[in-house]
Amino acid sequence: MHVVIIGNSAAGLSALESFRKENKDAKVTLISKEGGIAYSRVLLPYYLRGKADHDNFFIRDKKYYEDMDVDYIEDTVECVDDKKKVISLEKGDKISYDKLLIATGSRAVSPPIPGLDAEGVYNMWTLKDAENLEKYFIKGKRVMVLGSGFVSLQAAWAARFKGLEVTIVELVSRIMPNVLDDKGAELLSDSIRELGADLRVNTMTEKIEKLEDGSFRVYTKDNEPFEVDFIVVGTGVRANIALVDGTDIKTDRGILVDEFMETSVKDIFSAGDVAQGPTTFGDKHIIHALWPTAIEMGKVAGNNLAGKNFPYEGSLNMNTTQMFELTVSSMGRFNEGEGDRVEVLDGSVFGGKGYIKLVFENDKVIGATAVGSTNIVPLLGKLRPLIRKKTVIDVPVEKLGAYLHLQIAKSNPRNIMKSIKSS
Amino acid sequence: MFIVTMDPTKCVGCRNCEYACSYNRAGTCSSEESNIQVNFYPDENACIPMTCMHCEEAYCLSVCPAGAISRNEETGAVIINENLCVGCKMCMLACPYGNIHFDSAKQVSRKCNLCDTDEPNCVKHCIAGALNFEEVEEYDGNRKDCDGIIMRALKEGGDK
Repeated sequence: MHVVIIGNSAAGLSALESFRKENKDAKVTLISKEGGIAYSRVLLPYYLRGKADHDNFFIRDKKYYEDMDVDYIEDTVECVDDKKKVISLEKGDKISYDKLLIATGSRAVSPPIPGLDAEGVYNMWTLKDAENLEKYFIKGKRVMVLGSGFVSLQAAWAARFKGLEVTIVELVSRIMPNVLDDKGAELLSDSIRELGADLRVNTMTEKIEKLEDGSFRVYTKDNEPFEVDFIVVGTGVRANIALVDGTDIKTDRGILVDEFMETSVKDIFSAGDVAQGPTTFGDKHIIHALWPTAIEMGKVAGNNLAGKNFPYEGSLNMNTTQMFELTVSSMGRFNEGEGDRVEVLDGSVFGGKGYIKLVFENDKVIGATAVGSTNIVPLLGKLRPLIRKKTVIDVPVEKLGAYLHLQIAKSNPRNIMKSIKSS
Repeated sequence: MFIVTMDPTKCVGCRNCEYACSYNRAGTCSSEESNIQVNFYPDENACIPMTCMHCEEAYCLSVCPAGAISRNEETGAVIINENLCVGCKMCMLACPYGNIHFDSAKQVSRKCNLCDTDEPNCVKHCIAGALNFEEVEEYDGNRKDCDGIIMRALKEGGDK
């Protein structure tokens, strides 16, 4: 059997490792577009902030590929022929497969604003982006961050942390809609401004003009133009699905997969940012484009590539980071729907500081968000299994801490919580 | 492998384990600096020590985006390399037991590493016999799923 994995990041490697646990003999080929040793995109802002060295980017080493017994190819897959079971590479080679995993990830996309294609305008998505940006991250430089999602704001914080003059421009009325509720966004916005970044919401960027000295003049609607030395564009990502054009593989925004990470074509699987799969809430096809989801999907795909009957319990969105001196975390459905019950708590209930919101649907906890001190994060961690398994929580929220610990003790994990189960 | 076992029915809440861990790790006797935490709930009449269980399929290890969490092949402990950790806190969000903490001075995650010895400090200083360093049986298939174990216990019910 010949297994081909396209992709050398979270999903591809997780699949490779899970597959190799089950099958040591099959020939495996791994194809990487960017080439080199696998690195972690998540570390980009930490690198720019000075928290991680260049070496820290690499999350595997050369020996890993030998240990995993893979043929490693640095090339781009142009197209898949699902009838003949062959893929074509940019450099001209064709490779036949018995089973294929498409873990091609996503790419950063920019809005159609005139002038955004100039030198000095970067995304924050690839190792190359980080290397390009690093030389600008010097105290006193002026940067515009376009967009206010998770990645953009991490870039903005890294810049502010290093003493740059930071202007964040967001088209809509609030920041980080995929990670925070309105109140959480307000708290973070206050902190961003207190720490000296110029956050402009409801602001439309009309055009960017490159000046003779290499800097930029930014024109926004209804405001005076302003000048910056460089620009970071963080306005979202799009799945890399062009390689399946012309096949019977069903796509939407990403490649549609079932709970086994199999596409609509037998023996072709997909995982990670490119895959649009089931969630823990029963949605059939959602792209979460998150590191933990990619790891989980990869594990499922790897097991099924090895012929196991291994279903996914569904993706559960989870996010956390520290920025602008606040720890920001969320999980599941943290924006309440109609009829949902909301409990807002002060972090001091759990020995921390800040704002915590829990969302309940029919007394089942379905999501949570927290903005404040670090030590409120473990609460969300302990809620994760309960969100996944749709557990009814019928204790007052002030008792949640005790309840969670008692349940953990009673569950006797690893047989190490000695007597409480029998007592 | 050997891990720290916890007996909530014997724990008296003296917090010696926390002080021993904190002193060994950070040179101070402070509950906040400890990797083992004694959770005292007077209304529930419960005193529950909690420290890392070094899960066989450790979710923190698999989701760490910095590759900073690994298993010590010798002791079996799940350990954090603080030189690789960037402080993103994904592991804290991943642990279903709340057993990963944050070192605010170094801005990295921290957790129990079993003191890299054959007698962890928390066990050595437990006055009640609640903590022991014992060999645990390796998992069979159904014990691997941490979330599932908690949920089965929840369904079995018991006092809330």
